Amino acid sequence: MNTQDNNAIKLLEDASSLSELMSAVDALEKNDTSRELNWGVSSSVTMSQFGLYLRKYGLLSNIKINVLNGNYDDPLGDIDLFLKNNVDHAIFLPFFDNLMPSFEAQLACMSEDLIASKEAELRGRYRLALQKGGSMKVIFLCTLHSMSPLIDFSGNDVSRAILNRFNIALREEARQFPNVSVIDTEDILSFIGYQRAFDSRFYFRSKAPYTSAFLDELAKRVCLATRGFGSHFYKALILDCDNTLWGGVIGEDLLSGIGLDKHDYPGNIFWKIQNEILALEKSGALLCLCSKNNLADVDEVLEKHPSMVIREGHIAIKKVNWENKASNIRSLAQELNIGLDSMVFLDDSSFECEAVRQQLPMVKTFQVPKNLSDYPGLFSEIKKLFLAGGVTEESKSKTLQYRQRSEAEALKAQFENQDEYLASLGLKVELSLNLRSSIPRISELSMKSNQFNLTTTRYSESEILSMMDRDNFAVYSLVVSDKFGNAGLTGVVIVKYEGDKAVVDNFYMSCRVIGRGVEMVIWHQIIANAINRGCTHLHAKYISSAKNSLVNDFYDRLGLPVVDQFDAGREYSVSLTDFSPPPTLWITTEYVE
Amino acid sequence: MLNEDKLKQVMAVVLKVDVSSINEASSMDNIKTWDSLGHMNLILALEDEFKITIPDEDAGNISSYKLIKVVLGELLDGVA
Repeated sequence: MNTQDNNAIKLLEDASSLSELMSAVDALEKNDTSRELNWGVSSSVTMSQFGLYLRKYGLLSNIKINVLNGNYDDPLGDIDLFLKNNVDHAIFLPFFDNLMPSFEAQLACMSEDLIASKEAELRGRYRLALQKGGSMKVIFLCTLHSMSPLIDFSGNDVSRAILNRFNIALREEARQFPNVSVIDTEDILSFIGYQRAFDSRFYFRSKAPYTSAFLDELAKRVCLATRGFGSHFYKALILDCDNTLWGGVIGEDLLSGIGLDKHDYPGNIFWKIQNEILALEKSGALLCLCSKNNLADVDEVLEKHPSMVIREGHIAIKKVNWENKASNIRSLAQELNIGLDSMVFLDDSSFECEAVRQQLPMVKTFQVPKNLSDYPGLFSEIKKLFLAGGVTEESKSKTLQYRQRSEAEALKAQFENQDEYLASLGLKVELSLNLRSSIPRISELSMKSNQFNLTTTRYSESEILSMMDRDNFAVYSLVVSDKFGNAGLTGVVIVKYEGDKAVVDNFYMSCRVIGRGVEMVIWHQIIANAINRGCTHLHAKYISSAKNSLVNDFYDRLGLPVVDQFDAGREYSVSLTDFSPPPTLWITTEYVE
Repeated sequence: MLNEDKLKQVMAVVLKVDVSSINEASSMDNIKTWDSLGHMNLILALEDEFKITIPDEDAGNISSYKLIKVVLGELLDGVA
């Protein structure tokens, strides 16, 4: 990125007028971006201006977004239009007051029958639209909202009661489809305020109710909820200690002197932040410490300070030493086996923050505000990076699994050789075919795996479901456990049967189970199944990406001969009768169909 | 005083035309991109740029360069 681009991005972020924003978006879109996405916008009001804001947040994530606006109030027709134009991301925004002309004003005098039939129509129409959009990667359905704050402050407002009912209906419909997420528009209103959200001039003239403030915030939330349109997936939060986890400096203020009292300022702020951090950990974020301190001092706080919320057990890895922070963060990335671009760093020192920004620009760096009462607000921004895209159950216990991995690393040192170590682990692999209950995790893993991902094909939940439904696909998932615990669902192989060929569509694994032979042991069963179906050959492909060099020789190691080599990768093929994967005697396998 | 260069600049960006093509005769009738969406964007962009609020009636009616000049001129003088 050159200086000119940096200026354009700055303009994009700071644009104070519509024309400035339009110029900045147009200018940046002329550059080559790494990815392009097609988004459709479907609404029962005029939303044509929304595209500009989607494009803005796309560019801030280095993605060019092509926007296709649907027709006025035609979700079903819009879906057809989107599918015909290869649009695989969409946002639907039904508008409450426009369900019928001035619907909110009519409600008080409207018959319950009419209201109920409107509700049924709304529900039915969006159900059909979402059904039709089942093959799309992502659909956002916005909930309905009122155009004005409560008139009856007690909350017994007729129109609110009906609004809530309609929203429950929409949420119920959305829940039926794995590729559909809900965006709560009432929360946008409570964030920016009703007065800033609507422009009644254009609502009455052109059915365009929203101001740029609303559209900007909506696009920002779409960006967060899609994790920067799929451009990042934050996994670890790296924390400084002094004046970040607690007030003061442990080396000087000592255990009794640091500020962490929940009843007193400023301890109450740090105590609150620690609770927030712990909640992130429970949702699957990995916590690491990176602090210039004596390890013994920090350990003493973790172990003995009565007000500490975060304890030793919540922390995946500690780098408490006097090395520079950038190298510490680099080695954290290595030990956790995750990319630097999936790390968030929080520190109070402008020197440390600047040094990390300079040396590791891919790490998202935040500085604790000088004005401490702004700290919770800053932390909300950090929380959004981890949580806005939703979390799956499986992710919630991930820290525990990573800890188990670290303990395993420690044990590793005691063995004569790798084989001896592996044998001691008591590794078990459970391979399942088309395990429907794991569809969310199978899809999530395809989105998150970068290093062990042979073709970097990403699959949405609906794509996985559709493959499981079809006879010519097999979706294998594997769960690895050892004597330390269960690593959860950590690998997926997708096989497509084409006549006498079994073609591996993709194979991806979480890096947390690499290096134990798990990636080899599963092929015996996959081959047996292919032979049972009458297949004679196994085909597979490696497509290189910026991040998957880890597996560039994986199929060679598995014992597959190369049949074709091209710029971006290699193709392999082997006769099934001639093929046997390398031995992995230390692993027991179980197959569940 | 209305800065006409600034006005032309904003119109050019919003309506995606060359700034030199904007003149006294420009209107919704002869600029293809000046449709209802373009018009809405233009009103909002002018409000942002000149820090004014264009009243409802005017917002619908100022469909030519000349009319915009008149309305903006009045609003800006009112401010000053």
